Amino acid sequence: MEATTASSKPDAIDLSQLCLSEPVAVDLTQLSLRPLGLSDLDDLMVWTSDEKVANFCSREPYTSKDQGIDFIENAAASFLWRRAICLKDRAIGCITLSSYADVDKAREKSAELGYVLGSNYWGKGIVTEAVKQAIKAAFIEFPYLDRVEALVDVENLGSQRVLEKAGFQREGLLRKYLVRKGKSRDTFMFSVLLSDLHPQL
Amino acid sequence: MSNLDLSKISLRPFKLSDVDDFLLWAGDDQVTQNLRWKTCGSREEALAFIRDVCIPHPWRRSICLDDRSIGFVSVYPWSGDDRCKADIGYAVAADYWGQGIATKAVKMAVPQVFNDLSHLVRLQAFTSPENKASQRVLEKAGFLKEGLLRKYTYFKGNIKDSVVFSFLSTDEFPHDDSWK
Repeated sequence: MEATTASSKPDAIDLSQLCLSEPVAVDLTQLSLRPLGLSDLDDLMVWTSDEKVANFCSREPYTSKDQGIDFIENAAASFLWRRAICLKDRAIGCITLSSYADVDKAREKSAELGYVLGSNYWGKGIVTEAVKQAIKAAFIEFPYLDRVEALVDVENLGSQRVLEKAGFQREGLLRKYLVRKGKSRDTFMFSVLLSDLHPQL
Repeated sequence: MSNLDLSKISLRPFKLSDVDDFLLWAGDDQVTQNLRWKTCGSREEALAFIRDVCIPHPWRRSICLDDRSIGFVSVYPWSGDDRCKADIGYAVAADYWGQGIATKAVKMAVPQVFNDLSHLVRLQAFTSPENKASQRVLEKAGFLKEGLLRKYTYFKGNIKDSVVFSFLSTDEFPHDDSWK
């Protein structure tokens, strides 16, 4: 999704609504996933302070480096798995898996996928590739998992496209399912099963 | 077709004195097979379950026929930011299946629940894909089927798919007289 500057023409095209079929100008072989470290702090502040990025997140944009340090050092424990999305080893976003085991033992074979990417890098196929790599890693590292799901706001078209391209199935629209910025939001449920990747299982 | 007069169906909180009627359906595997409940094995178990679970529950009602317990409707709200959501469950004694009682009970419960739980925006229900009778109850009660969640949850030792339904505080109740 390309950011558009405010235009004096009322009928200017919003590029975030176009479906760009080919990634532009990014060599995806330079993409990697690795743990986040304190040395990533300045890079992390770029996407965590970005309002466009925070729009579909439950948190507000970060305003201080203390928040960034807290996220790098303390938030790791609340995730089952967390990696920085890196281009040439510079962190440009983050991808996570959260376990349901602590919340509901009946759902301990499910994990929830989350991801965030600096808005300058939107629309280039980066998150799709990161998600594909993350899912492969998840089912290997956590062989007890049957299901990885993702909850996406009904207005977040870019994120819906990521999941479709990464092989997730859209299971349904859950009305007023999640609260974001104080309002109940309609939310799509997507999932990928271990048996989707390995039909014999 | 049913000869049962559904106006004899009422909802009220559980009482310890319901124990013998309670055991008739909570002690029946046919009834509990679709619930997370363990089948009650004795009067003592039933008494403890009513005392320790049903009575302190955030919102649980006995479905009564002429004031005798023949089933239950439960609503369990989530907590914190998610308290705008709640899960509904229900069951009816096997002898009374097929007469529209669960549908009537759910239809009675829904407006009461939205009145009693002030933060509630979304009432949701999860059923097994095989449990067509329960899905019909929800559809007739005005719930919307939203989708099939694959390998969603453990249920009595097995990973199962779930069909998810919802009724929102802004949804309309179905237009027919069986509300009254």
